[in-house]
Amino acid sequence: MEVSNRADDFIPAGLASFGIEADEVDLAVMGAAHGMFWPPILELLELDAGDVTAERAPDLSQPPPAP
Amino acid sequence: MSDLLDRSLRGQAAAVSAGEVDGAALLDAVLARIEERNPALNAIVATFPEQSRAMLDAAPDGPLGGVPVVIKDEWPLPWRAQRFGAAEMLAPSAPGESGPYRALRDAGATIVGVGNMHELGAGSTGNVSVYGPAHNPWDTERCPGGSSSGPAVAVAARLVAGAVGADGVGSIRYPAAYCGLTGLKPTFGRAAMAGHHMAALSTTIVSGPLCADAADCRLLGSVLFGEPLSGGNAAGLRIGIVRGAVTDDVAPAVQDACEEAIRALRAETGGEVAEVELADLQPATLATVLIANTEGLSGLSPSRLNDLDPELSPIGRGLLKYRMLLPAAAAVKAQQVRTLMRRRVAAAFADVDVIAWPTVPAVAPPLQAPLVELPSGTLTADQANVRGGALANLTGIPAISVPVGLSDGLPIALQLQAAWGRDELLLDAAEALERANGRRWVEALPPPARTAETTGA
Repeated sequence: MEVSNRADDFIPAGLASFGIEADEVDLAVMGAAHGMFWPPILELLELDAGDVTAERAPDLSQPPPAP
Repeated sequence: MSDLLDRSLRGQAAAVSAGEVDGAALLDAVLARIEERNPALNAIVATFPEQSRAMLDAAPDGPLGGVPVVIKDEWPLPWRAQRFGAAEMLAPSAPGESGPYRALRDAGATIVGVGNMHELGAGSTGNVSVYGPAHNPWDTERCPGGSSSGPAVAVAARLVAGAVGADGVGSIRYPAAYCGLTGLKPTFGRAAMAGHHMAALSTTIVSGPLCADAADCRLLGSVLFGEPLSGGNAAGLRIGIVRGAVTDDVAPAVQDACEEAIRALRAETGGEVAEVELADLQPATLATVLIANTEGLSGLSPSRLNDLDPELSPIGRGLLKYRMLLPAAAAVKAQQVRTLMRRRVAAAFADVDVIAWPTVPAVAPPLQAPLVELPSGTLTADQANVRGGALANLTGIPAISVPVGLSDGLPIALQLQAAWGRDELLLDAAEALERANGRRWVEALPPPARTAETTGA
């Protein structure tokens, strides 16, 4: 299926499913945000992170433990 | 007194300690300077002389005894709740003793004002705030950087010599870069954080110092860390550089100045420069943004979003609503990418001591249109800046922004990042860089801070 970045498909449906109201200005801002965020979100989701398992409650003051 | 106000943070502390000046006289002089210079800058959004004087009267002997400082509108004070630069925060807010407040108080400092900030901490430019934007003192029509806009402007314009910011995704380093300051983003968890409304939730935000130079950041940083950040030397510094958009898709003047600074730092330290591999920086940047944006989601609900304060900016309202639509799968993947990048960064620091790249890829953009022109085209400043700022917040490592030049009268900055806990090395390296360029850039003053003496008039 072809990927769509079009905000006018995604945003009204998403807002409606939550019952969130939005005026034209909100929709314009969200559309701009969607254009900025969605392509890298898709890239992130497709990223091959190999067999890396996310650290559970990582101690960010320290390097990660050896895998 | 004007001479004293233009001194470094450590210079002011030494003057008070030596009895050269009385703390009360210094406080009055700073308040007068704020009254004189702040209207054109909007750096400081609240002063409270009565509480400042009470703080001074009760001040213990300490490394910042009697020295006025500014704190970002992200931290509560006993007499004032933080507003987070917004008409409405999506978290409880009340007056109280934050960690940075206690650290400053116990060091003898006087909090003289609250610094402006980008609304909800959600921008790298500082052009949106419930108080109106802060203005960059190098050009008041330019962005000051954000989200710690007011603290940076206050120091750059020499209203005060030191300020406390917060950095969740570059928010100390961006304004430091735009305003020609040195700004330290500490290792996660090393600097005072108690009392922040996200303290229990955030895995990216830290407090940190914004000052004119590295020695002042060392002094204020030591206070915030609650331990001395001892000076060493950066001899034999192994400097890592990374190829990719973060170093290559930058304005030519920024690229030239940063490359020159890296050469100078290598020569000053007798070190070496080596390329290091850090793949997937772009998805890592997005992962950082997702983590930072979703950690605050517990305060959001559809009904809350339908009842937002009408004084919130249109951008703030739209972005808050968009956050609700972020896919959970991406937030989960972001945590996996965090671990991946932490491993890669740890591996890189086996071979180099610091990783260097431009703090921001272009100089401060106009307040009215925060866009930057890069080789790849026109981007919003937020899109461009986050590329360089995100990695340190994602992984927890410390980073510092150091001024390294001017382009068309606006500051350029180099960022240095080091392994976890090596904050002191970053300060050492920043001081080496200052020596290498004769302190030219840390002593450069924007127009509002120039006196007859500094302009040669």
